[in-house]
Amino acid sequence: MFLNPWSVALCLLSLVVLVLLGIASRTAVKVLRYWDPASDSNRQISLENETWLSSTLVQYALGFQIFSLVLFVLAADNFSHVISGAMCAVGSLTANRYGMPALWLKLAGAFLYGLWLVVHHFDISSERYPLLRFKYAALLGLMPLLGADIACQTLYLAGLKPDIITSCCAVVFGEGEGKGGNLMASLPEGQTLAIFYGLAAVLAVLGHFLFRRRRRPLMWVSGGLWAVFVGVALAAITSVFSSYVYAMPYHHCPFCLLKPEYGYIGFLIYGALLPAGFFGISAALASLMPAASGLSEVVDRFQRRAVLISCLLLVVFVISVSYHLVLYRLSGGEG
Amino acid sequence: MNGLSRQLNVIDYSLSSLWRRRFKSVSVMVVFAAVIFLLASFQMTTKALTQTASRLLVMAPEITIQKMRAGRQEPIPVAYREKLAGIFGIRRITPRVWGYYFNETHAANLTVIGVDPRLMPLGEKLAAAIDTGRLPGDHEVVLGQGAEELLGENRMISLFRPDLSLKPLTVVGRFRPATDLLTYDTLFLPPDDARDLFSLPPELATDLCVTVANPSEVDTIAKKIAALLPGTRVLTRSQIEKTYHAVFGWRSGFASVCLLTALTSFIIFAWDKASGLTPEERREIGILKIVGWQTADVILLRFWEGVIVALLSFVAGYTLAYIHVAFFDAGLFRPIMLGWSVLHPRLRLSPGVEVGDVLLVLCLTVVPYLAATVVPAWRAAIIRADSALN
Repeated sequence: MFLNPWSVALCLLSLVVLVLLGIASRTAVKVLRYWDPASDSNRQISLENETWLSSTLVQYALGFQIFSLVLFVLAADNFSHVISGAMCAVGSLTANRYGMPALWLKLAGAFLYGLWLVVHHFDISSERYPLLRFKYAALLGLMPLLGADIACQTLYLAGLKPDIITSCCAVVFGEGEGKGGNLMASLPEGQTLAIFYGLAAVLAVLGHFLFRRRRRPLMWVSGGLWAVFVGVALAAITSVFSSYVYAMPYHHCPFCLLKPEYGYIGFLIYGALLPAGFFGISAALASLMPAASGLSEVVDRFQRRAVLISCLLLVVFVISVSYHLVLYRLSGGEG
Repeated sequence: MNGLSRQLNVIDYSLSSLWRRRFKSVSVMVVFAAVIFLLASFQMTTKALTQTASRLLVMAPEITIQKMRAGRQEPIPVAYREKLAGIFGIRRITPRVWGYYFNETHAANLTVIGVDPRLMPLGEKLAAAIDTGRLPGDHEVVLGQGAEELLGENRMISLFRPDLSLKPLTVVGRFRPATDLLTYDTLFLPPDDARDLFSLPPELATDLCVTVANPSEVDTIAKKIAALLPGTRVLTRSQIEKTYHAVFGWRSGFASVCLLTALTSFIIFAWDKASGLTPEERREIGILKIVGWQTADVILLRFWEGVIVALLSFVAGYTLAYIHVAFFDAGLFRPIMLGWSVLHPRLRLSPGVEVGDVLLVLCLTVVPYLAATVVPAWRAAIIRADSALN
């Protein structure tokens, strides 16, 4: 189903990201082949100029990728109006086997482009560009991911068949049954909430210590816990918190939160959770920077800032996601 | 805070820079706003039409049964009702007589619907759809807005039967303009009068409307009906709604693809405008470089210029599109969205603007524009100070 404004927009967005990263990877190939910091040839000077272009292009690509992630979920919700059996975004994303992989690839893409920009930030803060080759090798490594993302999205859109009344439509009833269900089985509420709030509290305490002093082992523990927390939080949103927002015990959907009838609360929830997870994890990954590269001061400053941002966003996230649950428990009903 | 104040300073500088080159900026903005206007108008018209259709279809029966022969619809025996008596969950089955009446004077088709509102579950709501007057009794008729304009505001109208004899009817009411999408060209009358008009035998109807007590049983009951009555087409309300969505979505998608050509030409125009640097602009960048600006700062400056132009154009284009759809009923595009007909429903479109719709239009317009200005921005930013000032 390509002839739909949402499909057109998604394809256009993918094409733009592909062109931007394509130009950036052309620079990457040149840098990997010809980069020579000792030389002052014309080629070296033009390569130095091109590195500015490529980093700008990746920044744009990251912005567009985040945009594409939101648009993909909203598009899926919109498609549910034309697909048989689909009640909301979950139904249309599971309408064929490429929907959910496309979503995960987009999420992974946004995370990895972000990491690339962190490495780029480290690299340009030293006059010797110590991470240049690594950075451009990594950029080339991102291209297959982008390719997989676009391939999944295209296959997903191609596989969507709108439910249109045909001359003999008794056949249609047989299809599309059971697609309007939930993404995951309901988790035990008490245990899920205990793990969720427990992890959030541990992360806040760890963040408090790490903000004062960056200890490497503690940093790794924190990074690992952040990765677990993002997973637990997504499961808890789907299985527990979303029902309180919708005031419907059997509707467990992580995407309907983004709809206007729920006050767009999903934008606040995911807008806090995903960047918080990114900064939490990237602070730990920053410890991987080689000590000899002379970047320890920049890395330390980044980690301090990343820990602070992740903790602040954690607070915003926990408050926004718990709001409806607390309101329900306090008032004994829908607020 | 240091980073934020740097961004604010660059935004401040880019605003003054845009103002200095106001002719160039305004020319880009006017063309861009026009492209956004076209895309957003289409988007809003689709949205408003889909919403109107969904809102009105609430009144439609849960299941409609049509008899098919050789792939075409034909009248259905009313006696089929007895065959379905054994299915639990069916509340009522109402025969409906409807068809088209060709008005030769105006070369327009009118839709004739004959149903007994007392047999419909939402019959009392049908009365609410009537603006003036009441539901029709024997030999009486209620007209849609368009049908009334066509036939004149007479108390009595006469229609031709197939054998060209005249059938007189008394006009007793008119439908509300809010239901125009469904009733604009409609004549609503009792089923026996409709049969008389179409010369249909009393044991036949055009289709059967089935009302179901429990909405979650609709699909199961539809399946049972399809099994009991082979040779019929069984339509559920949700299917009709999905078809409306798909058809409007398809038309809107087709229009978006057509408008992509307009977008492409704009992108080329924007690329050209961003690439062609005047000697003054080159000198300006040279001076900025000498006073300490880095390549990244100039790229940032160009980025903010692009964002400001794009957002101003977006606000202008989107607002104009809203005015076009809400106050002028999308006069430019309505024929494309509603299809070919002499009698177009005169709709009052009320486009609801949601975050998703705004993001969609942003993605179709602003994203390609920003992407098209990256490379020219970088080209401008790597100008060397000495070469620019010589």
